[in-house]
Amino acid sequence: MAELVREIMIEATPETIWSFLTEPDSLVGWHGTVAEIDPRPGGIYRVLVAGQFQSAGEYVEVVPTEKVVFTFGWEEEGHPIPPGSTTIEITLHPEGDKTRVRLVHSGLPDDAVDDHGHGWALYLERLAVRVAGDDPGPDRGSGGEA
Amino acid sequence: MRERPATDIADHFAEVTRSAISQHLAVLKAAGLVIERRDGTRRLYRADRDEMKKLREFLDEFWTSGLERLRDVAEAAQRDKEKR
Repeated sequence: MAELVREIMIEATPETIWSFLTEPDSLVGWHGTVAEIDPRPGGIYRVLVAGQFQSAGEYVEVVPTEKVVFTFGWEEEGHPIPPGSTTIEITLHPEGDKTRVRLVHSGLPDDAVDDHGHGWALYLERLAVRVAGDDPGPDRGSGGEA
Repeated sequence: MRERPATDIADHFAEVTRSAISQHLAVLKAAGLVIERRDGTRRLYRADRDEMKKLREFLDEFWTSGLERLRDVAEAAQRDKEKR
């Protein structure tokens, strides 16, 4: 499975950035418009993006000012990334008076698989993730499940 | 990407039932990530790479622009804190 890595250098302390990751009112200052989040392991993550796309998942790991990990997907019917099917890890790395923010979105469908058979094996790991995720959870079944 | 019948695909997942695999293929097909072709009574599937590439491009842009907005609001907040 594929992952996407993005980094950005921010002229702010990890403490300042942390509030924008974990406080709903601050989060919507840069991401989404409506946030219902409970940043502790097992807590809900629901953020409405662009006014119409409901993203949803669950917090996995929360280490104040250092690291937040949550599952992520969209509730839209038939979306290739259903709620809980992928994982986002955001880590904060202080460097002098700046902070490097690293975002890793993992568990994504592969787009660069080869033609010789393991293509399917790689690609279909996603299906296994979905199947494993079929256990009832707090965030399932309200939209994206088929 | 080679075309495969659903039974081949199911063989990759010993612990997953055939019907679950069929359901998931239907979801991927509805999402446009998998193309289904009928050959007699068989259904053959292949992954649609163009759609997966589009999805990847969407996410690249989604997180890149998101982090840029995070930088802007966090730097503004930091400047406000330092003024006080």
